[in-house]
Amino acid sequence: MKKIYILFLAILLTLVFTPFSSAQPEEEGLFQAVTIKLGVGFEYFSRTLSWDEEKYDTEPKLKSYFFTFNTEFELKKGFSLSAIFGYSSSNYHLTFRELDFSIELESGGIGGYLFGGEIKKSIIYTEKLEIDGLGQFYYYLGTRKEWDITDLAVEGTVDGKPRWMRASIGPVFTYTEFDSFHPYLSLSFNKLWGSFKMDQTVQDSKSSERKKTSGKGSFCTSLGVIYKLTDAFSLKAEANFFPHKNLEEILGVNLGLMFKAMYSF
Amino acid sequence: MKKEKIIFAFFVIPIFLFSASLKHLRFDRSKNPNPAFSQQQIKYLNEGQPLHPKAIHNVQDQVSAKFQPALSEKSREATGSAYRSRKLKRKLQAGSKDFRSERDRKQNPSVFRQKIKYLNEGRPFRYKGPHYVPDQVLVKFKPTLSEQMIKATIKAYRSRELKRIPRIDIYKLQIPENISLEEMLFMLRRNPDVEYAEPNYIAYITVTPNDTLFDYQYALYNEAQEIGPPGSPKGKEGRDIKATTAWKETKGDEEIIIAVVDTGVDLEHPDIKNKIHSSGYDFVNDDSDATDDFAHGTHVAGIAAAETHNSEGIAGVAWNCKILPVKVMDDLGEGTYGDMIEGIIWAADNGADVINLSLGGDLPSQSLEAALKYAYDKDIVIVASTGNDGGAVLYPAAYDDYCLAVAATDYNDLRADWSNFGPEVDVAAPGVRIVSLVPTWYWGPGSLPYAYGDGTSMAAPHVAGMAALIKSIKPWLTAAEIMNVIRYSADDVNSANNFGKDGFIGYGRINMEKGLVPIKVEPLK
Repeated sequence: MKKIYILFLAILLTLVFTPFSSAQPEEEGLFQAVTIKLGVGFEYFSRTLSWDEEKYDTEPKLKSYFFTFNTEFELKKGFSLSAIFGYSSSNYHLTFRELDFSIELESGGIGGYLFGGEIKKSIIYTEKLEIDGLGQFYYYLGTRKEWDITDLAVEGTVDGKPRWMRASIGPVFTYTEFDSFHPYLSLSFNKLWGSFKMDQTVQDSKSSERKKTSGKGSFCTSLGVIYKLTDAFSLKAEANFFPHKNLEEILGVNLGLMFKAMYSF
Repeated sequence: MKKEKIIFAFFVIPIFLFSASLKHLRFDRSKNPNPAFSQQQIKYLNEGQPLHPKAIHNVQDQVSAKFQPALSEKSREATGSAYRSRKLKRKLQAGSKDFRSERDRKQNPSVFRQKIKYLNEGRPFRYKGPHYVPDQVLVKFKPTLSEQMIKATIKAYRSRELKRIPRIDIYKLQIPENISLEEMLFMLRRNPDVEYAEPNYIAYITVTPNDTLFDYQYALYNEAQEIGPPGSPKGKEGRDIKATTAWKETKGDEEIIIAVVDTGVDLEHPDIKNKIHSSGYDFVNDDSDATDDFAHGTHVAGIAAAETHNSEGIAGVAWNCKILPVKVMDDLGEGTYGDMIEGIIWAADNGADVINLSLGGDLPSQSLEAALKYAYDKDIVIVASTGNDGGAVLYPAAYDDYCLAVAATDYNDLRADWSNFGPEVDVAAPGVRIVSLVPTWYWGPGSLPYAYGDGTSMAAPHVAGMAALIKSIKPWLTAAEIMNVIRYSADDVNSANNFGKDGFIGYGRINMEKGLVPIKVEPLK
């Protein structure tokens, strides 16, 4: 996992420092033409998870819905940085077997905070096609939630606190032939990982388990479209496909959806 | 930034819900083993009366004494001489080999698991995949529909015919990739030309053992079968300890040892000889051969861990766990506390993870309590029967801090009226009409070496077996934690009259499913 972090960091740093190199034209000064875009977004994704335990008969899953506020700074033509924050509801299906009483959790929505960032750098620009490099990072910090364990001879509860992180990087191919309608295709290396700490209390018995999870599959294909309603106002819709091997070792696909509305001024 | 800018706030929140979560349908094959043995051949132990193996209250010419640790050996002997007494035996613990030491070091569960040898390459015989083929359905069309129409219908659903099962006219279809199984089933079931449509379920190996007498073991799986020959009593469905469901989670680890401190075990019984860890120790005759000369211990050991799925006899609660026989009771089913104490300590020093004590006496003993504490401090789960007098809980079961005291219920989940009671009772388990092993010599030639038995002695090994299974999959749990899992996962089967923990069946009749299989936890609706 460390190698992945280093790889991400290297690519991000490359993208960040590229516009500062001397090869870039400096007509208006580095920050003189800063454009700010504000936006709201909604995203959903479903990912099949895996962890280091072999014994499971139902696929562990994470489904997450999130609502975000985005602030994009276009520091230079073709280079932008975004800050993202928002609220997410994540739904886990996990089995905990190291607690005193093993449990199979269908968590329901667990609310939590979402923070993230995005970096985008134009690599190739022609009349009809634009190729950008895009890097994204999301961090979800779930709030603590409690569930009752019913059917035991005594009262019992479990309470847990999840978190996940998602990082992706890859090229975006945008077709710019049309004036207000820009379809695009994105291929990215997409990694999801996180943990779920669960504490169990059954009468006087206490136990806890921390489960490290990661999303199955590391690649994502996205198809999307940017629709410019006006020069300042644009809408963006995107469908994501995460191929992975499922329990039967055959190819399965997890899905994601994203909508975003941006206003630049 | 040169220009002044105006900020507009706007919100576009399109909400899309993907509802493609598949319901995991389970397909459990019902079990119906066919006992090959004549049902008439199974006889009762002790002529149908509850067994009362008891420790004698006291041996007339012996006492046990514990000296202060600071006292030297010479001083101890001098003190003994002063009382004109003779030292018969002293339990030397320091030099005894502790087979648990290696396991004790393995505190890290993940490391531990890797070293444990399981059948089936470390996994129970448990199907891991989904319960149906995700992209296939089985469809039966109305007989009035022509073959051409059927093919047109299949095409209309953009499905592909994989196979037709001619005798019953069932079509196996592959559904298109962009339609979920639920959606396809929904559409097909709404079609008036379709008689029925269902997922293509996946069958898997069940965990119902093939032991010929399993059908008599209502305690493990009660489907209201007659418990014995035609005309025998039968209980109510589901009044059992849910063993078959729990076995899907684990059948036990062969390194987990249940010590049966009793009358010994028939080491050559075909239904348990492969499950014997060692020949044990005989504290009655002071030798290394704990062969049973009474029958009680063999019966108890069989309930806990008879060889299972061997097409013979009965199933043990702990399929893969081993039995360590420790003989402390003689050929009359009687024994001294002294031998019992020695037996407990010897079992603790010789690798036991669980100790079953289907015996007891009316009177307390500090020495006995000390022996129990010795074993408990080694994280050994001690299970003891409460007794069959309908009176107070016997010792050692009454030592609440160290023992799980087990009462008896029957095939209707009713407490046996002879089952002892008191605040020390922790749980109950079936102890009426329990079929298990007897020594091969017991009935003589021509009879099967099995018998029914009644008593809390028969209830306790069900709990010992459960403890061994918990220890198998969660070796990091302490004895106290395992005892709590057994207590709190019990079904409060007498809650109508005695809600919560009571003195008759404690927390309730044990439920192996709740203690071993992950409990479903969902948000409150």
